[in-house]
Amino acid sequence: MREKIKKQKPLVPVGKTGAKSYLKRYWQLYALLALPIIYLIVFKYAPMIYIQIAFKKYSIVKSVWEMPLAKKYGFEYFIKAFSNNDFRYALRNTLTLNLLDLLIGFPAPIIFALILNELCFKKFKRVVQTIAYMPHFLSWVIIYSLALQLFAPNAGLVNMIIKNLGGEAIPFLNDAKHWIGTYIGFGVWQNFGWGSIVYLASIAGINPELYEAAAVDGAGRFRKMWHITLPGIKPTIVVLLIMNLGNILGSSFDRPFAFQNNLVMKVADVISTYVYRVGIRGLQFSLTTAVGLFQSLVGVFFLLMANWISRKLGERGIW
Amino acid sequence: MKKKVLSILLAAVMTFSLAACGGGDAPESSSAEESSVSEGPVVEVSQAEFENGRFTETRHIRVEIYDRGNDGGSDPTNNKYTEYIKKGMLEDHNVEVEFVKVPRWTEVDDINNLLAAGTAPDICVTYSYPTIQTYADMGGVIDLSGYVNQYKDVLPNLWNWLGDTNINWDRDPVTGKLWAIEAKLATSNRVVTFVRQDWLDKLNMKAPTTKQEFEDMLVAFRDNAATLLGADADKMIPYSVSYDVGWRAATLIESFIDPEISDKEFYINGFDDRKLTQNGTKEAVRLLNKWYNMGLMWDDFALYGSGDTTEDSMMKAGYVGAFTHNWDYPFRNGEDSINANLQRQVGADAKFVAIDCFEDKNGGHTKFVPGPIDRKIFFPSTNTEPLASMLYLDWISAPEHIKYLQIGDEGVTHNVLEGGAIQTVAATGDAIMNSGMNIDYTITCNGLNLGDAKLTSLSKAYTYAANEPELVQQADKIAGTDLRVGKNVNVGAIEAEAGVGDTLSAKRDQTYDNAVVASPDQFDAVWDEYISDYLSAGGQDIMDERAEKWEKFFGSSDMLP
Repeated sequence: MREKIKKQKPLVPVGKTGAKSYLKRYWQLYALLALPIIYLIVFKYAPMIYIQIAFKKYSIVKSVWEMPLAKKYGFEYFIKAFSNNDFRYALRNTLTLNLLDLLIGFPAPIIFALILNELCFKKFKRVVQTIAYMPHFLSWVIIYSLALQLFAPNAGLVNMIIKNLGGEAIPFLNDAKHWIGTYIGFGVWQNFGWGSIVYLASIAGINPELYEAAAVDGAGRFRKMWHITLPGIKPTIVVLLIMNLGNILGSSFDRPFAFQNNLVMKVADVISTYVYRVGIRGLQFSLTTAVGLFQSLVGVFFLLMANWISRKLGERGIW
Repeated sequence: MKKKVLSILLAAVMTFSLAACGGGDAPESSSAEESSVSEGPVVEVSQAEFENGRFTETRHIRVEIYDRGNDGGSDPTNNKYTEYIKKGMLEDHNVEVEFVKVPRWTEVDDINNLLAAGTAPDICVTYSYPTIQTYADMGGVIDLSGYVNQYKDVLPNLWNWLGDTNINWDRDPVTGKLWAIEAKLATSNRVVTFVRQDWLDKLNMKAPTTKQEFEDMLVAFRDNAATLLGADADKMIPYSVSYDVGWRAATLIESFIDPEISDKEFYINGFDDRKLTQNGTKEAVRLLNKWYNMGLMWDDFALYGSGDTTEDSMMKAGYVGAFTHNWDYPFRNGEDSINANLQRQVGADAKFVAIDCFEDKNGGHTKFVPGPIDRKIFFPSTNTEPLASMLYLDWISAPEHIKYLQIGDEGVTHNVLEGGAIQTVAATGDAIMNSGMNIDYTITCNGLNLGDAKLTSLSKAYTYAANEPELVQQADKIAGTDLRVGKNVNVGAIEAEAGVGDTLSAKRDQTYDNAVVASPDQFDAVWDEYISDYLSAGGQDIMDERAEKWEKFFGSSDMLP
């Protein structure tokens, strides 16, 4: 589309009438564009007006413009957040859990896509694929109730089997270290199938002649994987990695919230649940807006960093 | 270039038009802020609008109602009893009532969301005073002091039922502001421990009377699981608590507190009604920790949150030997009550009976019960009908209305026994009550109140349909033994308490839960770590401010006047 507009550009005369006829000619395109722009403005840009709550003393009955500035030049709540133990725990936990997710959860779909790609029995491949996609469609609340049925120390199926075999129950959900494993494990389980789709699509785009040529040169399966498939999907991997890094301080709400319990809160409380508990339930809107703002800024920083590094390394960035 | 200018222009136009739309929605600053010092302002109502306690034109109010989501219950906003209220209010005061349901077990969250969104009902009810205080500080709550006093003569039932004690319980001693009215707790019964009588009989044991005997009994339950439960022996839970240990072991915890504790000390540590920071609590939890590590308690207790029915189901199925809970817990909900279920599923002799076995240091069984206050009723500043709302509170406090809502129609939800006692029967269909004795509708009253003290006490044991009155009587008697009733320490708002209630109660539960499951040699370390976390998250500030306020109002005296 861009090409088309470029080519026709000389036809558009300069000046007032030019703008008019330009609009007349292309208004449909702008009308189409309007929908996503309205979406962005309503749901992404308009709420940004309320970022200033982070710097103001919140009042439920005043408009956001009338609220008085918070103490310490408006930075009272940032200082308060960073001197708060809970916030520090939440920050630490968010980083730990997200890094572990990235470390284990990020390669999983790639490996799965590589393995699937090597399957030659098409029907079997399709069945495996479908089964692997399915957990993606379960909500975290349901997954947690599954986890509870399977891994509860007393009434969980897995622990009942272990106990009947004469072992000790494993505290999958009620001991901090085990809990992290369970949490990460379920995250990988839910997402690896779905995440592999984009890699499979990207693999399908690799020129088959490359494989044939490699076969002629005597390359085996693993050689082909290493020298053709992986380099072929490298741009996709990099783009997804950048996007994931931008999310390193962000976290979904429902997954940690569903998995939390009183015994593991020290490792399970993340920023999103902290904001919910302290901000919405504890009514400290200014404090948690400050936390949210900090979270976004760090996210943007990571995104820019990752993008910059990938361009330095000669890959295509996001922009 | 031209393209860019145009697209920016278009985006700007769109932003502008949206901003213009948004402007109308911005919350308007309310006039509730300016208020006099002594008595709050009232919205004047002229005689033409309001005559003989009746509005000349129909008014409309919205009233919060708890939704308990009971199996087989009716719509809490539209059933036989709401119709009764709506009809009465329309006839007596020409006020139309609309009910807004809020889930009982997440009421604080939900009311927060409604308040923040500006869509809260005109009459709000919550158990959390700090929530009200927080919104009041932001100017989001109406000062009721003017209304209760200036309209005293049209609110006779409210004044008669609640009296000065409950109406002015929360009145600020300095500013005179009144953000909420306290409903009245008609019974001071709180928490009692229950045990399976049939198990005791089977093992030839007597009901325990001391902590040691209680422990021995739990051990006997554990060791005789095969006898008591047969094939289900591995499901045996001698003593069951939930994640809310402070409530679900309250009688045990209270038995470790000095019965002669001074009002001052009790108040300073009193922000948490689960008594986390009182002297003695740690030793009580140490005992629980011992029991947990002896395999006498439910392993999974901390994994199930508020409102979860897993534990109830285990009690109903007969796997639980003993538990501590609200004094009438096994009798609640008629045919679906724990005891009724036990009799159906386990056997005619299976039942939980109340015991009083946690002795304090004087050998008594001191139970710390709160003052006669229950839910807190407040009007958010979005309420444009404060007088009509006050009339609703008056109507709902009238003895005949409370009585009808509590016992319903004769022959349908209750029978009159010989001697006049009223016996509640389990209702079906439209007459079913979603909460015991419709406590959710009688928002100014919790506990049986038939308008006549004699009749009330006579009927109390018969208000639990499908349950043996003797068992209820026994629980009632134990729940009323050695009470230490809380007093109103009215020192105005404690600033440190605003906004931290939820955080601190979450931390309190974490403290209790982690301390109970710690290994015995780690107990002290775990307890101290979590307590210091609790204190640094705001607990210490509250205690300091409470101590300071106490000294300001009561000087060096340790007891209330």
